[in-house]
Amino acid sequence: MTRRVAVIGVGNSKFGRRDDVSVQELAWESIKEALNDSGVSQSDIGLVVVGSTAYRGIELYPAPIVAEYSGLTGKVPLRVEAMCATGLAAALSAYTAVASGLVDMAMAVGVDKMTEVDTSTSLAIGGRGGNYQWEYHFYGTTFPTYYALYATRHMAVYGTTEEQMALVSVKAHKYGAMNPKAHFQKPVTVEEVLKSRVISWPIKLLDSCPISDGSATAIFASEEKVKELKIDSPVWITGIGYANDYAYVARRGEWVGFKATQLAARQAYNMAKVTPNDIEVATVHDAFTIAEIMGYEDLGFTEKGKGGKFIEEGQSEKGGKVGVNLFGGLKAKGHPLGATGLSMIYEITKQLRDEADKLQQPLKKYIGLVHNVGGTGHFAYVMVLRR
Amino acid sequence: MQVDAIPLSIKYKINYPDEFIEAVKRGEIVATRCKNCGSVYFPPQKDCYNCGKNEMEWIKVSNEGEIMTYSIVSQKPQGFENYKDYIIGIVRTKDGINLMAWIKGQPKVGGKVRLTTDDTRIIGEVV
Ligand SMILES: [Zn+2]
Repeated sequence: MTRRVAVIGVGNSKFGRRDDVSVQELAWESIKEALNDSGVSQSDIGLVVVGSTAYRGIELYPAPIVAEYSGLTGKVPLRVEAMCATGLAAALSAYTAVASGLVDMAMAVGVDKMTEVDTSTSLAIGGRGGNYQWEYHFYGTTFPTYYALYATRHMAVYGTTEEQMALVSVKAHKYGAMNPKAHFQKPVTVEEVLKSRVISWPIKLLDSCPISDGSATAIFASEEKVKELKIDSPVWITGIGYANDYAYVARRGEWVGFKATQLAARQAYNMAKVTPNDIEVATVHDAFTIAEIMGYEDLGFTEKGKGGKFIEEGQSEKGGKVGVNLFGGLKAKGHPLGATGLSMIYEITKQLRDEADKLQQPLKKYIGLVHNVGGTGHFAYVMVLRR
Repeated sequence: MQVDAIPLSIKYKINYPDEFIEAVKRGEIVATRCKNCGSVYFPPQKDCYNCGKNEMEWIKVSNEGEIMTYSIVSQKPQGFENYKDYIIGIVRTKDGINLMAWIKGQPKVGGKVRLTTDDTRIIGEVV
């Protein structure tokens, strides 16, 4: 029997182009905030997991450097990687260490400094986020291309439109403009999204998340530790699910949703003993606008094929059936790969503690969800959190 | 102050099965099939994870297919900068194998293609 685990402290750096800091300085911004938030110190933590994809930064092996800069040397035996889901992969490792009884408190730090390489190098690294030998090498896939293959099929099968996808971007930018930590601080219109430069049709520039620098940290503690420390606002992880899918995208057999998300969601809902209807606030992995539409469906917020309608009806807005990506999502908040999943935990923790200010979703049951996709559906993680 | 860091240049050598490369040169597509349990693999594998054996035979894939989805690549990655915009598609062959290809012609989801190669890669010509 595993132990109950709570999030007791969270931190999130400013996301964006961060030429002003090194990767270790960037990591410290969120580590410091999470330590202050929880009231514990470095010496209280039994295990630290660093999540970083690292390939776009000068430090290809960032864990010891982050540890050294943050006073965590001795506690950081590994770095984990699951492409864009690296943050929740780190969270899973830290959670598991606490749930199993190995340690009483663990920290997951997600960090990536992606703008140290130029855009063309970044695109080439992203395009390898599949099966290099049988995809990129012959066909010149880019990361947006993979999502575009899903968008085209979703449009053909369900009649989803480019306007509906644009609405996801409009919503993200609207909330991003109200979040001082977001990469982008300005609203966009449907027309601006539709007229933006085509990257990999039907995906356009303003359907795509930016290349960001950032870090986010979460501290996990056992129930005994929560009581001992008299933590007044623990956020419990009541469900956790994970899955993966084929690397070679053609082999997946259908391209209107992510099977990995569907499997991870079922596992997390079963463990938390809740249904999709219980979720009041969520982060849905919106690397590209089509991803959020498929996410609504794969997570069960609406039926398969109705994701476009779900955004059109405003059901994922603040005050809607389920408030989705109210801090700006990957699209406007930014997507520093290693940090993203932990930034999602930061966001939902703030929401469940009623600490989200202007971006606060009205809550009754205080049940939230985080959803982080790695690669182009290669990995998926879902967590259910409750106050 | 920002300074240039020492660049990292990475060169790779990778291997493909001779049978696959030779088939592509003939304009054909091949997959592997396990002689023991009949599992078919594309991308081709030397090892069968279904039964654990490693005796495979090469089989020819049908050249009739249907476009399942596609995307037109405008912003091209390293190694493809000099190509005009190209169309990447997923094609389902008549014998049920799903594979990636470049599409030539006006693509449509559900549209039929004839599969061939351009000496290097699989091409789906819209028919
Ligand atoms: Zn076999």
